[in-house]
Amino acid sequence: MYRLILPLIFFLLGAGFLISTFNLPKARLGDPYGPIYFPAILGVLLVVLSIIYFIEEWKQRGDKFPELELLLKGRTPFLLISTLVISLIYAFLFERVGFLISTIFFLGGLLFLINGRKKWMTNIIVAVSFSVITWYSFAVLLKVSLP
Amino acid sequence: MGVDFDVILEGLMTALEPMNLFWIALGGFLGTVVGMLPGLGPATAIALLIPITFGMDPVSALVLMAAIYYGAMYGGSRSSILLNTPGDGSAIAATFDGYPMAQKGQAGQALAISAIASLIGGLIAVVGFIMLAKPLASFALRFGPAEYFLLMIFTLSAIVALSKGAMVKGFISMTIGLLISTMGIDLQSGVHRFTFHLPELSEGIDFLIVIIGIYAVGEVMFNYIGIDKPRGKKKEVGKIWITKDQWKRSKWPIIRSAPLGFLIGVLPGAGGAIASMISYTTERQISKKPEEFGKGAIEGLAAPESSNNAASVGAFIPLLTMGIPGSGTTAVILGAVVMLGIKPGPLLFENDPELVWTFINSMFIGNIFLVILNILLVGLLVKILDTPAKILYPLILVLAFIGTYTLSYSPIDFTFLLIFGLLGLAMKLLSFPIAPLILAVIVGSDMEQNFRKSIVGADSALSIITMSPITIVLTLLTLLSLFYPMILGWFKKRKLNNLPK
Amino acid sequence: MKKLLTYIGLSSLLILGGCSSGGSGAEAEQFPTKPIELVAPATPGGGWDATARAIQKILKDEELVEGNINVVNKPGGSGEVGWQYLKGKDAHSLAINSSLLITNNLLGQSELSYEDFTPLAVLTTEWISIAVANDSPFADAKQLMEQLKEDPSSIKIALAPGLGNNDHLSFVQAAKEYGVDVSKLNILIYESGGDVVTALLGGHVDVATMSISESKEQHLAGKFKVISVSSAERLEGLEEVPTWQEQGVDMVFPHWRGILGPPDMTEEEIAYYDKAIGDMVETEAWTELMKNNEWELFYKNSAESAEFLKEQTQMYDTLLSESGLTD
Repeated sequence: MYRLILPLIFFLLGAGFLISTFNLPKARLGDPYGPIYFPAILGVLLVVLSIIYFIEEWKQRGDKFPELELLLKGRTPFLLISTLVISLIYAFLFERVGFLISTIFFLGGLLFLINGRKKWMTNIIVAVSFSVITWYSFAVLLKVSLP
Repeated sequence: MGVDFDVILEGLMTALEPMNLFWIALGGFLGTVVGMLPGLGPATAIALLIPITFGMDPVSALVLMAAIYYGAMYGGSRSSILLNTPGDGSAIAATFDGYPMAQKGQAGQALAISAIASLIGGLIAVVGFIMLAKPLASFALRFGPAEYFLLMIFTLSAIVALSKGAMVKGFISMTIGLLISTMGIDLQSGVHRFTFHLPELSEGIDFLIVIIGIYAVGEVMFNYIGIDKPRGKKKEVGKIWITKDQWKRSKWPIIRSAPLGFLIGVLPGAGGAIASMISYTTERQISKKPEEFGKGAIEGLAAPESSNNAASVGAFIPLLTMGIPGSGTTAVILGAVVMLGIKPGPLLFENDPELVWTFINSMFIGNIFLVILNILLVGLLVKILDTPAKILYPLILVLAFIGTYTLSYSPIDFTFLLIFGLLGLAMKLLSFPIAPLILAVIVGSDMEQNFRKSIVGADSALSIITMSPITIVLTLLTLLSLFYPMILGWFKKRKLNNLPK
Repeated sequence: MKKLLTYIGLSSLLILGGCSSGGSGAEAEQFPTKPIELVAPATPGGGWDATARAIQKILKDEELVEGNINVVNKPGGSGEVGWQYLKGKDAHSLAINSSLLITNNLLGQSELSYEDFTPLAVLTTEWISIAVANDSPFADAKQLMEQLKEDPSSIKIALAPGLGNNDHLSFVQAAKEYGVDVSKLNILIYESGGDVVTALLGGHVDVATMSISESKEQHLAGKFKVISVSSAERLEGLEEVPTWQEQGVDMVFPHWRGILGPPDMTEEEIAYYDKAIGDMVETEAWTELMKNNEWELFYKNSAESAEFLKEQTQMYDTLLSESGLTD
């Protein structure tokens, strides 16, 4: 039955999008509904597609849903969530403490997470050297304005 | 325009001056590097180099910037092939068969054929440039809003049609891409749509962020699955030169795709992404073995590679003959050369023929240089595959974030990057085709705007189909791309029925 | 434990390294005490970025400011993101600005107005042109306007990149003077000036309004004709094109660019920039830059700029409501 979740999500997305298009401001010049037609058509399209998709999935509702199991197996969910958390912290720190320091911690954190604690030496060397090299080539050679 | 060979020769001599050779080499190398990195494309790289060009001779500056542009076409496919993470819109089509080739242990061959295809595509396009620049420029002018709208519809339908057997998923993917493309200011009315009062969103979401998120971040997340499994034997990378048979298979696709990509490149606003996707779908439709496409068919890599490089050459035609930038990158180049006192426009060929011909010849030299560089690099690049995945993936993530930062200079986009990463993960997991979504994000907003411009003054929305011969052809092509498999099936059936029992 | 120590050691080394290179060399309290930051509220490659980088280069090459000067890109929201960023900075940060600062606010897209900043200078202006195809029935702006007066929707007008910009509003103002019902105009918005040129060359629109820098080459090559310019005098190189004033519209419409400082700057700091920028616009490099871009000098110092921005705000307020974009 998990199969049916996805078409339902698409249905809600399409319906929600369609409703929000009605709240769009109207154009002050030309056709007032000009900016609304296209998104509204897309909303309807997604709703229709989600219904077809639902019917397709309904036919195989008894089948296994191996994709979901794959995702929940082993430490995959843990890795995913921690990556998201570390990335968000990175986004928060990026302009506050500067590129170099935040990147070293971000990369270091990811490496410890994925590559494991046992290889701490490699992790640190890679994190520091890679951050410095990218910082040098972007900020100094290419003159990108990095914080 | 009569082709004056003396001027061409003179241009060649100037292009061969050591200083210009140096700029070609430097630009080609830089272009290859930035092409490989996610997000950092030729437009950004050239824009960043503008201050350096301030002190340069205008001819050298133009040569350098062009070399970065087509250099990036070579580089862009490297990461598509090796890591399934295209560096730019025009490198997406290279993932379709390039990455499967690398997985089959043919990474070396894939890298080699894409460089060769790029070279041939580029050279054919340069010849086309010399012979046809002016007539093509006036042809491109005939593309108005209706023509562009239908060209984009055609490209989208051709891509969706690729997802055979999963059409619904293909259409859903496309629709979501179009939804994303509606974010930002609506040009025709100035209304803000779905910007959530964030000024960062007022220009919509950069399609490159979607590409980096879905491909690079999504690919890394997808590979978390089974990351702890002990790795099997060392990955085979194959020879770094193609076999005779492979050459035979890709020869014609390369030659066919070059003029196609070149023509699309000439159209202002179409560009490498559309060119490479149309070439890919065309090859697949005329192929005798369409079932091999997407599973590592060498012609499926060669065709788009030839096409996107040809398109990058074609994009200079409107710039140099009319002063109209045909793509984001050429717009940046235009801004830069104007600062140096060059005035690209209808008079450039007459006022400054030496500059134009030096530039065109530099593309010849540059393409030859790049193919050598890229083939030499193959040996080095395949080593990326030897890097342990557990170290490689964090590095890709860091590069994805930096690439995003160079697009908008705002960490807010990091959040979008993650959202698209998760979307990419879900799509890969549930085998939703990704290309329709990406292409829809790239063309969606232009498509809508062009449609609305085309119906101004038209009798009805349907009348735009019969507006010009070009629109009629594009409509037929669209129908063909959607129903070709059906027609083909019908013919086959009839043939079978006609056979004596 | 050892791991942790190494980690801390390495990071602190880097932090120290970062600090020492970032420290300032000046011992006296004289302004500026650190590198000056010039905000381009756009991505690299656009007009604002190019302006910022040209200013950076000239100020540096001619040694008009002490210490270093860096360009920072803050694109988004038609300048909004960059100016918002500037608002929280000290006098070592400057930003490029244009009339968008005023119109964003009037159109309700931004809370910021020029009063939230210290206007430091207006630098240059571009003039705006009206162009039609070679085979157009309109020989001059008068004929065009007469037709629009008769039927405002009969003509397709192209401009880029958005409603409420100078190309749009200058046309609106001129049409208004002729008594055209400007809210009924058929306006097609293109993404860039290049697209507008293409549309006019290809015959997909009847009229286009754009900067001189975008139309001049096409006009000189005989690809289309410019029928009116928004300057007070006829322009060099386009002597045959009449101004609006000559065609019965009392209008001079500049498309200017300037420099903005954060709020609450001291007299001393303002004087410092007045001198540096005043000297900059006198340099040969600046003249060259303007010539290449078809810009004209439009220099106003800090005090004059503040006055100018005030006048402009009133003018745009009227124009926007006349065009139908605001109430």
